[in-house]
Amino acid sequence: MPGARYSSLHDVELAAHAVAGDRRAFGELVRRHGAGVRALLRRMGAGAEADDVAQDAFLAAFERIAEFRGEGTFAGWVKRIAARQYLRRLQRQRRLKALAVEADEADPPPAGDADGRIDLDESLKGLGQGERLCVSLCFGAGFSHAEAAEALNLPLGTVKSHVKRGLEKLRARLAPSDGAAAQGNDAHG
Amino acid sequence: MAELDFERRLERLFAEAPAMADEDAFARRVERRLERGWTARRLVIGAAGGVGGVIGASQLFMSGFAERMEVASQGSAKVLTAGLREVAPHADWLTVLTSGGAVVWTASVLAVVALGFAVARALEEI
Repeated sequence: MPGARYSSLHDVELAAHAVAGDRRAFGELVRRHGAGVRALLRRMGAGAEADDVAQDAFLAAFERIAEFRGEGTFAGWVKRIAARQYLRRLQRQRRLKALAVEADEADPPPAGDADGRIDLDESLKGLGQGERLCVSLCFGAGFSHAEAAEALNLPLGTVKSHVKRGLEKLRARLAPSDGAAAQGNDAHG
Repeated sequence: MAELDFERRLERLFAEAPAMADEDAFARRVERRLERGWTARRLVIGAAGGVGGVIGASQLFMSGFAERMEVASQGSAKVLTAGLREVAPHADWLTVLTSGGAVVWTASVLAVVALGFAVARALEEI
């Protein structure tokens, strides 16, 4: 069974097969990392378009698979491609709002659990577009601040401001980590 | 320190991919699109090769290339024959083969076919 043959291979080995034109090997990479790429795009705000952009990103990745040399992870490499594809789509459709504005308009914070804490996906919805894109690019797609500035066509200082504000909002809204939650339970117990 | 911890935690959260029910269906859609792309590419390369071959062949025939090639091949055959005679003066079959120019023609056609395959393969790689 070809699927079983591929499932035991490392990403780098699968990529080497894909370089030789083996589309099934590449399909296994899509199976492994499709959810991660789609999740990143949703977190960037792609919504219903996320799957289309993810498909385009994987096709672009297959075309450029020879460029992947296994220096970083395949997931990281394809996420960067997907993030750039989504930004290009936003720019083409002129849907990037004025990200340079100081105060980024955001949705009202979503309702959380009893303590008002929520998960990452819900927390990101409370950020403005600029904050959300900058935080997702830097923490989800592995962009440096400078790379994010270039990709978004924004001054570096603006990107840093968006990241800083975004992190502050996320810190306030995110549910505590497992360790912190456990400590909290111990304290109450 | 707390900021750094939070940033690391955020990176971990981003790296966690939620399980999606249609993961396999998504992968199959990508595979289908890849397959369609390759089929289309092969058809385009094949069609371009066919059209190019027809145009090239018609140009060759219309330009009197065949007559010129026949004269040139006869000259080449004479040179080849002379060379082979020096190497093997008693091997008459070599002389018979080369004197008509058929070998030179055949070799030329095979070379063109091989070149065609090489170009098609290179285009596929690109």
